[in-house]
Amino acid sequence: MVVLETVLDATWEHIILVYTTLFVSILISIPLAFGALYSKKLEFLIMKFANLVQAVPSFAVVAIMVPFLGIGFTPALVAIMLRALLPIIKNTYIGLSNVDPALIDYAEGVGLSQWQIHRHIRLPNAYPAMFAGIKFAGILANSIAVLTAFIGSGGLGEIIFQGLIGYNTNTLLAGAIPAIMLAILIDTSFSILEKKVTPGHSSK
Amino acid sequence: MQTERLFDRIESIQFKGITKKYGEGFAVKELDLEIIGGELLILIGPSGSGKTTTLRMINRMIEQDEGSVTINGIDTKDADPVRLRRNIGYVIQNIGLFPHMTIRENIGLVPKIEKQNKKDIEERVKTLLDFVSLPPEMFMNRYPKQLSGGQQQRVGLARAMAMDPPLFLMDEPFGALDPILRKQLQKEFLKIKNEINRTIVFVTHDIEEALVLGDRIAIMDQGELVQVGPPEELIFNPANELVADIVDNQRKFKHMDTLKVKDLMSPFEDKYVLEAKMEACDAVDEMTDRDLETAFVFEGDELLGQVEIVDLMKCRDRGEKLSELAKPIKTFQPMDSVAFALSEMKNSGEYLAIVMNSKHPVGILVSDEVLLKLI
Repeated sequence: MVVLETVLDATWEHIILVYTTLFVSILISIPLAFGALYSKKLEFLIMKFANLVQAVPSFAVVAIMVPFLGIGFTPALVAIMLRALLPIIKNTYIGLSNVDPALIDYAEGVGLSQWQIHRHIRLPNAYPAMFAGIKFAGILANSIAVLTAFIGSGGLGEIIFQGLIGYNTNTLLAGAIPAIMLAILIDTSFSILEKKVTPGHSSK
Repeated sequence: MQTERLFDRIESIQFKGITKKYGEGFAVKELDLEIIGGELLILIGPSGSGKTTTLRMINRMIEQDEGSVTINGIDTKDADPVRLRRNIGYVIQNIGLFPHMTIRENIGLVPKIEKQNKKDIEERVKTLLDFVSLPPEMFMNRYPKQLSGGQQQRVGLARAMAMDPPLFLMDEPFGALDPILRKQLQKEFLKIKNEINRTIVFVTHDIEEALVLGDRIAIMDQGELVQVGPPEELIFNPANELVADIVDNQRKFKHMDTLKVKDLMSPFEDKYVLEAKMEACDAVDEMTDRDLETAFVFEGDELLGQVEIVDLMKCRDRGEKLSELAKPIKTFQPMDSVAFALSEMKNSGEYLAIVMNSKHPVGILVSDEVLLKLI
């Protein structure tokens, strides 16, 4: 039998792990995506790496952390990040590079600097693609965060594995149901944020 | 940081020995051209003639290989491109309104970057929208995709005026619009042009547009300037075959006497029809959706007249019916002669007429200023 307190603690750990990873991933992704606009080489590397990492089973990525970083929160964070980073970079890059060239041309023509074009034109135009990437990464992070319980990250995975090992359906559900609800929370929270920052795309 | 202005008015812009190569070919070859302050100079020519390249060398979007461009005696090579461009109004063919910004933000973007204060920007945006006949309270907070093509083009014009520049560069601003809409915006642009009295360099491939709008017209071909002069000079003293060909306008006016209204009219479409009982404010939305500047009001089969969106927006709140607002419009028969129809329209100062086949509208006749000049 699991106590409510244990479930709440595990859920909290899970949330912290997922959102921290997403936050760090976004911070790393945006400069890299901008970098890819300038360097064909970087763009090539990112796209190749993105497809490669997608092909590796998540559990293998988690397991491979142990010999290098040991166990605990940090290796778990790195493992999740490896999977979460690329959908964000890839989508952000696609969003940034798919801006109508006429808009960029116009912006240069009225004397906007490169930085101002990034800030006022490219980035806002990339938001829809970017948020699609972040939401996808969020769902991915949430499910891998279950697996990282194996390498000592804590979180809901711990309860789920307990339930599996002891053939205890109640325990298993006590871990699985909050994990499913978290997936919905993550998607909704970023949808709300998206509406806040991109008013133009939501109206009509 | 507010950018200091490079010039407050244009005395002259001079191209001296300008050459621009693309690979082996020449985009522009040894061009000498002077643009006089206060005039509207048209650059026209077939595609690949170098007209857009020439335009874009003024704001240094393209850098020449040889020669110099000077504005008021200042070589543009010595000017900071950002400062130069902030001093020049820019309008491009596909308008290029930013889809993620409201109309207010679109017009106010450069002033905002120039750190002007919010209140001044707001005032400026309102003044400019009024100036291009878009009621600010109705349009300021809309997004570009909620506007018709004609309205977007007006916003493009307002946006170019945001910094009150002494010089405008316009690259086929009406190129993407259908002929009737284009005619109407040209007419309005002519009014605006006379009011602001600025130097304008205007690229087009439409000779009628050039003849209507241009103070002087520069004809280019394969990177070279063929002839430059006021419209009459090009018509009566063309420098060569090509100029004669371009200006001759498909030899329309050689057959003036034999041309019938049906040869020149545009087909009538159902989208131009509005019901007499419709209220003005509904009509504005309807016309925005249908991308119309003018519509024709019918009561059943009977033509009551025409309404223009610009007028309807002014009386938006009074809930008037279109039947009360419709202005009379001339009608002609398909077999009437063009000379007759155009002189009738010229006399009444109208530029649109409906062509009726007994009781049914079959076409729209747009007055042709080029032909009018010859009557």
